[in-house]
Amino acid sequence: MELELRINGIIKSLDVAPNESLLKVLRQEGYFSVKHGCETGECGACTVLIDGVPRPSCVTLAAQAGGCTLTTVESLGTMRKLHPLQEAFISTGAIQCGFCTPGMVLSAYELLKRNPDPSEDEVRDALSGNLCRCTGYVKPVQAIMRAAAMQRGETVPPISSPGSSENFKPWDPGRSPLEHAEYGASTPDDPTVGAASNAQIIAPNTPESTDDSSSQGGTATLVGTRTSTDLSIVGKPERKVDAVKLVTGKPAFVDDIELRGMLHARLLTSPHAHAIIRDIDASEARALSGVHAVLTYKDVPRIPYTTAGQSWPEPGPHDQYCLDNRVRFVGDRVAAVAAETPEIAEQALSLIRVDYEVLPALLDPRYAMDPNAPRIHPEPESYRIHDASRNIAAHLHAEVGDVERGFAESDLVVEGEYIVPQVQQTPIENHIVITYWDEDDRLVVRTSTQVPYHVRRIIAPIIGLSPRRIRVVKPRIGGGFGVKQEVLLEDICALLTIATDRPVKLEFSRAEEFRSSRSRHPQILRMKTGVKRDGTIVANQMTLLANTGAYGTHSLTVQSNTGSKTLPLYPCAHIRFVADIVYTNLPPAGAFRGYGVPQGFFALESHIDEIAKQLGMDALALRRQNWLKEGDENPLAKALGEGKEGYTQIIESCGLPQCLQIVEEKLNWQEKRGKGGSGRFRRGVGIALAMHGTAIPGLDMGGASIKLNDDGSFNVLVGATDIGTGSDTVIAQIAAEVLGVRMEDIIIHSSDTDFTPFDTGAYASSTTYISGGATKKAAEQVRMQILDVAGRVLKVNPESLTLSNRIITAHNGQTMTVSQVALHSLHIENQQQIMSTASWMSYNSPPPFAAQGAEVEVDTETGVVRVLKAISAVDAGRVVNPLMAEGQIEGGATQALGYGICEEMVYDQQGALLTTNLSDYRIYSAVDMPQMESYLVETHDPFGPFGVKAIAEIPIDGMAPAVANAVADAIGVRVYQIPLTPERVMLAIHTQSQNAKR
Amino acid sequence: MIPGSFDYVVASSISDAVSLLQQHGDEAKILAGGQSLIPLLRFRLASPSVLIDINRIDGMEYIQETDNVLHIGAMTREAELDNSDLIRERYPILLDTSSLIADPVVRNWATVGGNLAHADPGNNHPATMLALGASVVAVGPDGERVIPIDEFFTDNSFETTLHPNEILTEIRVPAPTDRSGGAYIQLERKVGDYAIAGVAAYVRLNDAGQVTYAGIGLTNVGPTPIKARNAEQFLLGKALDDASIHQVADMAAAASQPTSDTRGPAEYKRAMVRTLAVRALQKALGRATGGE
Repeated sequence: MELELRINGIIKSLDVAPNESLLKVLRQEGYFSVKHGCETGECGACTVLIDGVPRPSCVTLAAQAGGCTLTTVESLGTMRKLHPLQEAFISTGAIQCGFCTPGMVLSAYELLKRNPDPSEDEVRDALSGNLCRCTGYVKPVQAIMRAAAMQRGETVPPISSPGSSENFKPWDPGRSPLEHAEYGASTPDDPTVGAASNAQIIAPNTPESTDDSSSQGGTATLVGTRTSTDLSIVGKPERKVDAVKLVTGKPAFVDDIELRGMLHARLLTSPHAHAIIRDIDASEARALSGVHAVLTYKDVPRIPYTTAGQSWPEPGPHDQYCLDNRVRFVGDRVAAVAAETPEIAEQALSLIRVDYEVLPALLDPRYAMDPNAPRIHPEPESYRIHDASRNIAAHLHAEVGDVERGFAESDLVVEGEYIVPQVQQTPIENHIVITYWDEDDRLVVRTSTQVPYHVRRIIAPIIGLSPRRIRVVKPRIGGGFGVKQEVLLEDICALLTIATDRPVKLEFSRAEEFRSSRSRHPQILRMKTGVKRDGTIVANQMTLLANTGAYGTHSLTVQSNTGSKTLPLYPCAHIRFVADIVYTNLPPAGAFRGYGVPQGFFALESHIDEIAKQLGMDALALRRQNWLKEGDENPLAKALGEGKEGYTQIIESCGLPQCLQIVEEKLNWQEKRGKGGSGRFRRGVGIALAMHGTAIPGLDMGGASIKLNDDGSFNVLVGATDIGTGSDTVIAQIAAEVLGVRMEDIIIHSSDTDFTPFDTGAYASSTTYISGGATKKAAEQVRMQILDVAGRVLKVNPESLTLSNRIITAHNGQTMTVSQVALHSLHIENQQQIMSTASWMSYNSPPPFAAQGAEVEVDTETGVVRVLKAISAVDAGRVVNPLMAEGQIEGGATQALGYGICEEMVYDQQGALLTTNLSDYRIYSAVDMPQMESYLVETHDPFGPFGVKAIAEIPIDGMAPAVANAVADAIGVRVYQIPLTPERVMLAIHTQSQNAKR
Repeated sequence: MIPGSFDYVVASSISDAVSLLQQHGDEAKILAGGQSLIPLLRFRLASPSVLIDINRIDGMEYIQETDNVLHIGAMTREAELDNSDLIRERYPILLDTSSLIADPVVRNWATVGGNLAHADPGNNHPATMLALGASVVAVGPDGERVIPIDEFFTDNSFETTLHPNEILTEIRVPAPTDRSGGAYIQLERKVGDYAIAGVAAYVRLNDAGQVTYAGIGLTNVGPTPIKARNAEQFLLGKALDDASIHQVADMAAAASQPTSDTRGPAEYKRAMVRTLAVRALQKALGRATGGE
């Protein structure tokens, strides 16, 4: 049907089918800012304004918009002239992956049109239809409040930290390309648009002096031991280098390209939890007009592999096959189709005849090891399975000392069983990949991944191409959180391109993302701890049963972390950790931010509170008495490496005491603890501690190449994979710092296996440490080359030269700019390209630490838990970018709140997932948020670049147990299972009152 | 997934919509806000061959009180209830109801008529309208008929007594009397989610404080929206005090037919109907007697 749409002021006459969504039509017309995140109007990524009103375009028919005026973010501002909202989103650090940003900006735009002076609650309400998995909404709310003030003509205070370079505008074309005469440092030309953070650098060891103005908007305060001011860019809240393109809706994501002749792929997945495919007949599907390829297990090689994107050789079970004649969960892949249109592909799926022999399904991990349980991996080809005959994917046993003796020597032995759910990473961008042959007959894989290099190596044997014929490109990624550390779609999509010689796109729908991707391992953990009367922990034991679902992917290493990153928090002479990770016929678990550690800390930190209760001790005093200190050795590091023996780890920096002190004070612990009372609403406070690792020691490696250009700019090429975390920015800061130049002098390009050096990828909280380390090393070498040339020109010893603000200065006052050095070196004399490549790895994995606290209110008539306050204090070593570090804390803590309060994957009796949309699976929205506060406690660790430690995962580790401890404080009884759903809390209250009556 | 193919027609008037319905019969579906229907189409849970878009019909979005009746046009968006002074001042139970639906983006388009006609037991308005004793206006080839709300829903999920060739055009709610008040309360896992359980209560009192009208509707605790008739009957002629409120709450809980699902076990939901009924009645009483 003919349709006239007025899009961003342009009248378009289009021919659309009645069943086409507005989302599809807008993207077809090149409005790529409108994103596909779900199909049910729940995520808000597809928000557009129709006649000025925000509407989810995925549940709007294009036909309905006929004659209407449509507005997308493309029309709001341009790269050179941003709308105040866009400007504020950048300057407050409200953009992480940027996938949901256009939708949020439009919702905010409409709010400010009708209400120029909104309250924070009104802003949250307006944003509540736009889900974001990265930010925790703290900074987006700040951004909107700030933009509103700017639009009202109010002067907004520059929210920058002292000494930050405020004028970075990546879109600034600059002056003359060669800048011969430019000697001075840059001058801020508009202080209001500067990179900004609320972070304050506070004198060492004075947390009580921190500013207490934190509102629900959230403010992070930097509390530090940093005294040196020798750094000019590292430590500053620089603006995210990719923020402008994200906030203006530029085509930056996998799906934002158009390839002529691209086919659309769809997967047929299993309706049964466990079945053998006796036969499969795709002839009818293949005969359908518009279908170009159908793949079944008959068409692909049977090669065992793992989807876990880890270093070679991956230590976990190799128990998957591209397509198999056995299906092991509802949602397992059966066949794939590539066709001219998505509609034809879907029709073709319905024409594939599958003859299933349905087998008994194993759905409860507690019966997995039973000799009569169905065997999920009987096939002989699979390898690195611990014991396939008992469905044990992996087994771990680590022990120091003699726990039995330790228990015997204890005055009190406390036991407890804790249950944690299966939860989903839920990036707003689902998995998506586009593959095509390039003009050299090499296969290009454009994919939403955290591990481009692992993708290339892992798919090569499956698709029958050598890695040299594969190029993996990672554009911007709409969130990963671990689920994109799995190679889930690339192999099939590549095989379809090989089969058809056409570009092919394959993406998960939201329901498929829930059903067929990966999740966090659910576990049942048993704690047994022996203590002396005075609180000294004598022996500590954690045993767990984890459910990896149908495939073993990260089963070994995730659960290894459950023990190795948690138990060392309380070193004692006798420690035992035992884990069985079993198969079931449920969707597989895999990598999820935190990687086994949130599970472990939920058990450990809940258990510590229980021990304190039994000892009659203050829960914080018990922690302080037993915790890890600087100089201690991590007792489990050697025993639990990455699937092999690990490396000894000595704790060189530990900010725990300060972290705990801050959270204790900010939560008003002394006054509020133990005051639950007996009314209908009861309040409580709880605290949990956490530690993590920084990269995998002796395994993770990253490379960086840096070359100098005529104008004194540098191309920085890194394998590091920015998945929205801001690693491109952090790496650019590190390069700029070492090279003595500005942020805009760094042109960063990351994650293209043809052009950037190897990097293990974005996982294990490694990027700033590992890839940053490589960048620092390469930059130092380039710096030396620059000084060598300058020394030759100036006829002085290069070692006597200094380089800062783009100027090389000699003792005698002679100067040269970096650009002059570049021109000299490239064109004048002894010509050479100043450049270097370096890689970096480490045998040390310095742990970041955190204290996290929550205040809750429990409605004892309904069991509903409302989190009022969530406070995190994190020791992440030296902070390269406080603004982005805060963002990591806020986002991680928010995901942990979901883990503790409302997220859980639920199945029916046949093993089919029930929580397949964003209504049944509940992630936090802007209106669910508590008041959130973040504090950065700076320490200096000797191993990483500039003393950095990790920030990405530590904030997700302790918030769920903090909430559980707060609930226990409020109602006087513990709920041993998360999420703390109303009925679980109610049951605990009810049981307690029944017991009290007896 | 992609919706199956269908024809899309725009109705220019109510009578046009009716004649289109006449023409296409069971094969046609009315498209109002689309917030429930389009996901159903995507998942192929509905596959009409014709969609009749009634969004372009003038004069179906209004909120007005005349002759002691509140008239709500069927295409009135939830956001309009959210923002209406009339609703806030005189029908706070309707504001309770609309403001709990999903999120503001959805409420910009979701319609009151669609919320009722979809007859989803998880939708909020059915319980509230049952409590209020509302009626709906249906227009068909033979003209207009008024259906009392308790005759609008059937015993089957997602089913109403609208004829295939009828269109819902208006909702009518009795205007408040001097001593009347209502409230809608629901329990949710998170803001904007469908209710774990929801209770709407509406009462009218005489000067002696005795109940002359009681309406109690339940959300998402059965296959259909539920009217707790026994509980309503029980209250007539009684004063609303702690004892009667708790007794009637027990009866409301007994009227519920919850099943266990991702929003909780049946027993918990039933218990919550009791708790919410107490709260809704207390709030309704407060409003009826001049409090909030």
